[in-house]
Amino acid sequence: MNYSQKIYHSRSQLTEPNKLLQSMFNDLLAARQLAWKLMVRDINAKYRQTLLGYFWALIPPVVVAYGLVIAAQARVVNLGVTDLPYPAYVMLSMVLWQTFLEAFNAPLAAISESKTMLAKVNFPREAIILAKVGEVFFNFLIKLILVIFIFAVYDMPVSPMVFLAPLGVVQIVLLGTFLGLFIAPIGGIYQDFSRAIVIFTTPWLLITPVLYPMPKAGIFATIVKFNPVTSLLVTTRELATTGLVSNWSGFVIVSVISIIGLLLAWVFFRLAIPYVIERMPS
Amino acid sequence: MTENQVSNTTNVILSVEAVSKKFCRGLKQSLIYGIKDIASEISATRKSHDTLRKGEFWAVDNVSFELEKGDAIGLVGANGSGKTSLLRIISGLIKPDQGQVVISGRVVPLIALGAGFNPILTGRENIYVNLAILGLSKLEINQAFEEVIAFAEINDALDSPVQSYSSGMAARLGFACAVHAKADILLIDEVLSVGDMRFRGKCYRKLAQLREDGTSFILVSHNTNAILSMCNKAVYLAKGKQIMTGEPSKVMSKFEEDLCFGPAVDQSGVLVIPAKSSKDTTGLDIIRVKLSNERDSDSNALLSGVAGRISIQVTAHSYQQDVIASALIKELSGESETVLHLSSDKDNKFFSFNSGVSEFAISLAKCGLKPGLYTAKIYLHKKPFFMLDAIESFVFRVTADIDMNQCLFYQPVDWLQTA
Repeated sequence: MNYSQKIYHSRSQLTEPNKLLQSMFNDLLAARQLAWKLMVRDINAKYRQTLLGYFWALIPPVVVAYGLVIAAQARVVNLGVTDLPYPAYVMLSMVLWQTFLEAFNAPLAAISESKTMLAKVNFPREAIILAKVGEVFFNFLIKLILVIFIFAVYDMPVSPMVFLAPLGVVQIVLLGTFLGLFIAPIGGIYQDFSRAIVIFTTPWLLITPVLYPMPKAGIFATIVKFNPVTSLLVTTRELATTGLVSNWSGFVIVSVISIIGLLLAWVFFRLAIPYVIERMPS
Repeated sequence: MTENQVSNTTNVILSVEAVSKKFCRGLKQSLIYGIKDIASEISATRKSHDTLRKGEFWAVDNVSFELEKGDAIGLVGANGSGKTSLLRIISGLIKPDQGQVVISGRVVPLIALGAGFNPILTGRENIYVNLAILGLSKLEINQAFEEVIAFAEINDALDSPVQSYSSGMAARLGFACAVHAKADILLIDEVLSVGDMRFRGKCYRKLAQLREDGTSFILVSHNTNAILSMCNKAVYLAKGKQIMTGEPSKVMSKFEEDLCFGPAVDQSGVLVIPAKSSKDTTGLDIIRVKLSNERDSDSNALLSGVAGRISIQVTAHSYQQDVIASALIKELSGESETVLHLSSDKDNKFFSFNSGVSEFAISLAKCGLKPGLYTAKIYLHKKPFFMLDAIESFVFRVTADIDMNQCLFYQPVDWLQTA
């Protein structure tokens, strides 16, 4: 048996940064197996009581994308001209956007779904986050099948750069997780956050070039440009299709911010979680 | 862990050092304090907090004790005395506001019966997840798996979803997972009342075996017997404060004395009830209850194994007949199980009282109750359901001059050699 001595005291964990980093690292290692088990459990449980099973992961982007395709063809909405066949364009974009959104919601969902466990057992808290993020990737892979199918149908151009596209997807998930992890502990205390997220995701979608191509000029173009999701999503889309990346610098800047932000959010999450648990029913 | 470390640190595997924790009852206030506490934690300004903010109280107030390898400590106290909060601090779920907890070993909570069970998934799948949550590696889980299902006795239902389990089965599965989680310190919070009698017995045997193997326990229970039979040390908490620590039998008797009535309560063995006004009475009132025993005429207590009497004085406003006297006796600290139910009609005895004061007695040829504090509900009634008068709680003490540590009641016996 090798176990280290643990001390629980009232001082802030930030007063002993070395110890904090050490325990973060240890817990991350210890969380891997558990995270895998939790992910498998959640995925298994999610679709077990359904007839259509994993098909449910495909339905949301299909419905939204085809709704838009029909609306665009009927000229109900004016979405501009894309340089790629619109159905394939919007399907790929929707899948990327939904992956971002799932990653963004993952930490808060992880906390609220694991309430009883969190309130009773002290296990590496990283596990529930990792499990949820893993689930986001799993869902993405299912949707990827759909994207590949659509690409084949519309005979989409694919450049060798497509092999860099997974990097873009990873960055999208990292950005979502970073933002989600920051609000998760506060959202675990005040439910205002989960309510606000529901309201603000639609406007957020509208300022992201998911349904329309990147606007060229104007105030709207500026807003879209400063939306951090934009550069990641557009770059990933470009990598997956034409291979001509319009804004490498934006992609790199947002990626670096997401990685640093994620580390900070992780620290914040660890520091805050005992106070969240204190307010959960035991 | 090396041999060296063991000898250096004696055998203390858990030490709770002057731990305090405050809580806030109001929801809104508690949420605001939560945000403030997080803010002070991330600005590293949070140190110890020795003042209460508005609406707060000390849920755990300056509690200290040590647990050595193989020790079993019983935590006793009324509801809301801070036992569960203390366990949550020891588990590392919430941070103390003062003091510290030093732990060298794996802490597994038995409070968490079935935490993380997903009702849709099968028992098999849930065992894997639950053991992983409790901190076992894949290899350890595979090794423990067979034992867990054997212990939980759910062979037939192993591949059915847990939502189809009876509550007893689910609890057994949770218990089985927790006891096989290779704990150094097992936290047991009032969970030994799960399952049927046979399974409970099995749990106690398993716990005894774990303890022989060196596992330490912290047991939270209201059940005196559980504490006395399992623990070698007890800590008594009241409103977060540590009232007494030490020998379980002493701590438990102090706890029982204080329980539900505090110092004002009379255990003198005599209860005198003021006369009722004419509009409150039903015609027959109990005015005095008194205990006596054959051995010591000065003592108003019962003695295990010795003849005793519960004498009841009544005053009748008019002639009363066909009166049935009953007594329901419970242990003061126990769960609400009746130890003894005596009713005169079952022995075909019906009393009649003339107007004025009369007295009758429940005579016990030999008192079978074990030593301890008891509460009796004494009532007079007529058939079918006419209540004449009742005393809700007459608290009395049973003592003994014989050794009664190992048993629950006194059995009068004769030892005969018959051949």
